[in-house]
Amino acid sequence: MKWVPLGLVRYTVCLGGLSVFFFLLCILTGPFLMLYYVPDVNRAHADVMDIMQVVPFGAFVRNVHRWSACLMIVCVPAHMTRVFLQAAYKPPRQLNWLVGITLLILTYLMCFTGYMLPWDQEAYWGATIGATMAENSPFLGAKGPFSVLPPDKDIHYIMLGGTVLDQPTLSRFFFAHCIAIPGALAGLMGFHFFNIHRAGGMSGPL
Amino acid sequence: MAEKIVEEGPVTAEGKEKLRLLTVVRGETLRNRDIYERPPKYELFFPNFVMKELCVGLAFLIIIFMWAYFKDSPLYELSDPAETPSHIKAAWYFVGLQEMLAYFDPYLAGVIIPSMILAGLYLIPFIDPDPVKGIGRFAFKERKFAIGCFLGGVAMWYGLLLVGWFFRGPYWSFYWPWEDHSVVKATEVALWSFPLPAGIAFLVCYGMLVLILPAVIFQNFFFRLGLIRYLITFNLFAVMCFVPIKILLRSAFSVKYILVTPWFNI
Amino acid sequence: MFKPVAKAEAIDPKKIARREAIRKGLFWACWGVFIGFAGILGASIVRFAYPRIVFEPSSIFKAGKPDDYKVGSVALIHGRGVFVIRTEKGFYALSAKCTHLGCQPIWYEDQQVFKCPCHGARFDKEGINFAGPAPLPLPRFHLSLSPDGRLLVDKSTNVGMDFFLEA
Repeated sequence: MKWVPLGLVRYTVCLGGLSVFFFLLCILTGPFLMLYYVPDVNRAHADVMDIMQVVPFGAFVRNVHRWSACLMIVCVPAHMTRVFLQAAYKPPRQLNWLVGITLLILTYLMCFTGYMLPWDQEAYWGATIGATMAENSPFLGAKGPFSVLPPDKDIHYIMLGGTVLDQPTLSRFFFAHCIAIPGALAGLMGFHFFNIHRAGGMSGPL
Repeated sequence: MAEKIVEEGPVTAEGKEKLRLLTVVRGETLRNRDIYERPPKYELFFPNFVMKELCVGLAFLIIIFMWAYFKDSPLYELSDPAETPSHIKAAWYFVGLQEMLAYFDPYLAGVIIPSMILAGLYLIPFIDPDPVKGIGRFAFKERKFAIGCFLGGVAMWYGLLLVGWFFRGPYWSFYWPWEDHSVVKATEVALWSFPLPAGIAFLVCYGMLVLILPAVIFQNFFFRLGLIRYLITFNLFAVMCFVPIKILLRSAFSVKYILVTPWFNI
Repeated sequence: MFKPVAKAEAIDPKKIARREAIRKGLFWACWGVFIGFAGILGASIVRFAYPRIVFEPSSIFKAGKPDDYKVGSVALIHGRGVFVIRTEKGFYALSAKCTHLGCQPIWYEDQQVFKCPCHGARFDKEGINFAGPAPLPLPRFHLSLSPDGRLLVDKSTNVGMDFFLEA
């Protein structure tokens, strides 16, 4: 990856790098929020209030976390669109396209689990909607068409850790938002970059 | 067929030929474009590209810091399982989904359609019949169908998002942006469904129209794709076009379901 | 480079075939073990995520005296997710969970409709889903009188549209 064709380096090519940049900002600010935030249904909202109003620079850290997440979710689909329009998914880069779509899904999941954590009204009802969507999936959900699983065995139960939203749900979303999804995201991102290199880098006919 | 050993090393940036065993393949040798050659005009990855990336990153760092300093991120009142607020919107990136959910059964808009969208995205490299056309440039004229479908889908997603964000008020009623949200909208008219034969006829006609008609009109296109790829492509295309059709039927003609069966409704 | 260990023609073709078979067998055995292990690991993670015990509110609860409800009124039992409705025919209890995606509809007295704020589902006083995306009517729960003369709602038992508790 030492050279690229002349004229390729336009600002549209920066979208992928920008997504990584916003992800890094989230990764840097997230652990600081974790110092004050406790994933307990009785405390979570008050903790976020504390971060916003009491903790020195707390509001700033949370704002940077939130706004860079917002920009990330703008940049990732924009990057995907750029890649599609320049046909960069064609051989030999098919594998990287697949990894990229997985990264897109993980980014959306990251945002979904993230806006759950303050446990405010938007979070609670958003999570209710998300969980009920899972409950309505065909075959796997208890309410969906062709359902086979009872309400205490289906995919909705595993997502909430019960049949109603409560402490187990918040713990699960916290785990997903802070450990599982960022881990998968970081690992797959590494693979994504390695793959650019493996498939000939940007030096190939993109 | 005998096995051939390909002994071509990539041309490195310094221009030295390296001879090494790449791989053992059956059949033809690797195509030329798999082994990258430096184009006559090129620029350096470092510093040209990296510096550009860093400049953009720095600009956005400043933007984010200013934004975070002046605008606080939203935090609503404590969750109350006993009461849904009358005016509730998801975070902006999910409002498109929320708007779509307002027209469909939850299993459709919540599970089937998103899965189809993702399946379609995953399948793009495998249903595109041409392995080289338009690589590395914006070839709008040469890839009309592919780019049209993709941009159509993207436009639909963000269009729904804009409608959900700017045109929906309390109780998810439709409000023009200049209307006052405190004025309560009249109750919606009751919905009706197609009777079963009409529903089946509608879906069959729609399927014929989207699945068979393109193959008849654009025969070259059909043969270039092949049957399986053609079917996958146009099934996905049918699902994509079905979304605005159903939205139109629901909002303009108050149609609840096109097809009603004991197991599922569409 | 490498010195040949034996001359090519000295190797028995049967031996080569056997070696090849062993090699293939080992290859697939390794994959089998790997996939089996990954499968067991995945299944145990899924099993781990199913809680054995959950702490959830009881599905049967008391909802006050019948006289507390006026004829024609719709009352939300706060925190229980149930509307208790009294008409001339008697009492019935409707689920306050939208059949679309689980938000709580809000009773709108002027227009006599339940409006769900999340995706715009509309139900009438009987719980019929007449507009919006809701696929089913609001379920009705079994209502009875407890020995101490209070309404007893049983959220685990659904009843038909003709169910009324005589006032």
